[in-house]
Amino acid sequence: MATLSSIQVIDLEVKIANTVLLSDVSCEFQAGKIYAILGQNGAGKSTLLQCLSHEIPSSKGSILWNNRSLSEFSYSKLAKQRAVLPQSNELAFSFTVEALVQLGEEVVQRSHKEASNTIDAVLNTCDLIPLRHRDYLTLSGGEQKRAQLARVLAQIWPSSPVKEGGGIFSDKWLLLDEWTAGLDIKHQQLLARYFKQWAAQGLGIIMVLHDVGFAAQLADRCLMLKDGKVFAEGEVNQVLTQSILTEALEMQVQVSDDAQTGRPMVYPRLSF
Amino acid sequence: MRALKGRLFRPVLWLLLLLGLVMSLSLMIGGFSFYPSEFIAGLSTQQQFILWEIRWPRTLLAAVIGAGLAISGVALQALFRNPLAEPGLIGVSSAAAFGAVFVIVLGGALWHEVAVWQISVAAFLLASLSTAMLYLIATRHGHTDVALMLLAGVAFNAIFGALTQLLITFSDDAQLRSALFWMMGSLANLSWFSVGMVSIFVLLASLGLWRLVKSMNAFLLGENVSLQMGYDPKWFKWQVMGLSALIVGVSVSMVGVIGFVGLVVPHIIRLWVGADHRLVLPLSALGGAILLVLADLFARQLLYPAELPIGLLMALLGGPFFLMLLMTKRQARLSSVQRKRL
Repeated sequence: MATLSSIQVIDLEVKIANTVLLSDVSCEFQAGKIYAILGQNGAGKSTLLQCLSHEIPSSKGSILWNNRSLSEFSYSKLAKQRAVLPQSNELAFSFTVEALVQLGEEVVQRSHKEASNTIDAVLNTCDLIPLRHRDYLTLSGGEQKRAQLARVLAQIWPSSPVKEGGGIFSDKWLLLDEWTAGLDIKHQQLLARYFKQWAAQGLGIIMVLHDVGFAAQLADRCLMLKDGKVFAEGEVNQVLTQSILTEALEMQVQVSDDAQTGRPMVYPRLSF
Repeated sequence: MRALKGRLFRPVLWLLLLLGLVMSLSLMIGGFSFYPSEFIAGLSTQQQFILWEIRWPRTLLAAVIGAGLAISGVALQALFRNPLAEPGLIGVSSAAAFGAVFVIVLGGALWHEVAVWQISVAAFLLASLSTAMLYLIATRHGHTDVALMLLAGVAFNAIFGALTQLLITFSDDAQLRSALFWMMGSLANLSWFSVGMVSIFVLLASLGLWRLVKSMNAFLLGENVSLQMGYDPKWFKWQVMGLSALIVGVSVSMVGVIGFVGLVVPHIIRLWVGADHRLVLPLSALGGAILLVLADLFARQLLYPAELPIGLLMALLGGPFFLMLLMTKRQARLSSVQRKRL
């Protein structure tokens, strides 16, 4: 059994133009699990994700990717191990959905047959088969999001048969920044089911989310940030409690236990 | 999804045929026209001289410069992630022209003899400098502000245009004539040697840009995304700026400012085959060559025996095309707004 892929963040600090965005952040991510990063606007969620994907440098601390410093990896090597869905996407030129997905697929060297299989598979996963020849610029916001997600998935889609000792996604990571934003509930649930399956097959998934209720049902572990620091970290049951949510997110909420799943049920409340 | 070779084959074939056709026309038509029958019967010495020393260098030069300008347009459009970025429009060509005129006018006073390579180097330096400045002005946090880019281009054109005019007012008659003629763009009277030099530089820079087609595709998705997909955006930006400035600088120093090739050609090619740079770059090169060979033919023949400066002709053709482009963009925006209201 191969050792599981892991990412360790040690005493991370990020300072940009004298503003401290993250400080003293330490945490660990293991492949095969789904992690939710939660926090208010400006808590540093996206910054942490960008550090993990090696987009912005840290001013202190380090990130270890499989026990090796992240800075030892070349961009092209990293691109084959992890794919990132950014919060917002820009594309000013007209690409068909299929051509867009192909851009992600080409990051990996595959045979022609494997490549077209991969493209078909990710289009199917994101429910884009009927839209595959449409111009990306004419799609709705949610459809564009799914097309980008398909591009991102194509980058790490397994092309070889199951590796020994691991799942078909082992050593691969998926970093998602607010992937649910703009998606309808049907596709959120559809993709959430896939994420669960792929995590079981060895994929590590780290997602920034705002919907605490959704995180409570999907994530294995939660990382709660507040003002650039780790406020709480642990299993969903440990983090998504009434007191932590009230304090870290300053939300009005009621939390109860779901006897069926053993997960917390989170009800945000409006009081007028 | 078909493989790249399959998708390239047919369009390349068509454009090569078309290029062959316009190049033959350009070789045959002129003050002295040849007829196909004369080629078979054998050419006189005079005819051979015209064909080999005048028509061939000029036609090849038009093809090479057209291809180069189209490629630099494609590259700059990828860099700015906008189909309106064009060396002439955003002021890179006028900067290069200023560099060249600077050397023509002041270099004569300093070094007595001005070598062509000095003009080229000055044009290249100013072209790269203006590209880098424009990028710094128009792009913040990996996002290009189109309005800012075009407005900065207007400012660049005005500043470098004025500086060039200023130099011209200080120049003597001979310098004035050469500077003016050359500013309007002309492919006339260039030797095989110049054609060879331009071709080498344009070819090298184009090959350099051809290596970057995949990164260009990724860069369209944003600077961060191209990094996430494994390309180094910093290194990419330097290469695109340097190599496209090399093409623009060398072309401008040899034939003057010829605008709109880099705008019109990639736009038409994208409408035809989509935005994938692996198709757009080579096809635009061929399209640019065809357009400039054809334009040069018209420039020579339209007002024969007078010759229209090709830069003027391209501006007369390209200006309206640009307006049309803006109008269709506006139309598209209006209809998308209407669709959202429904």
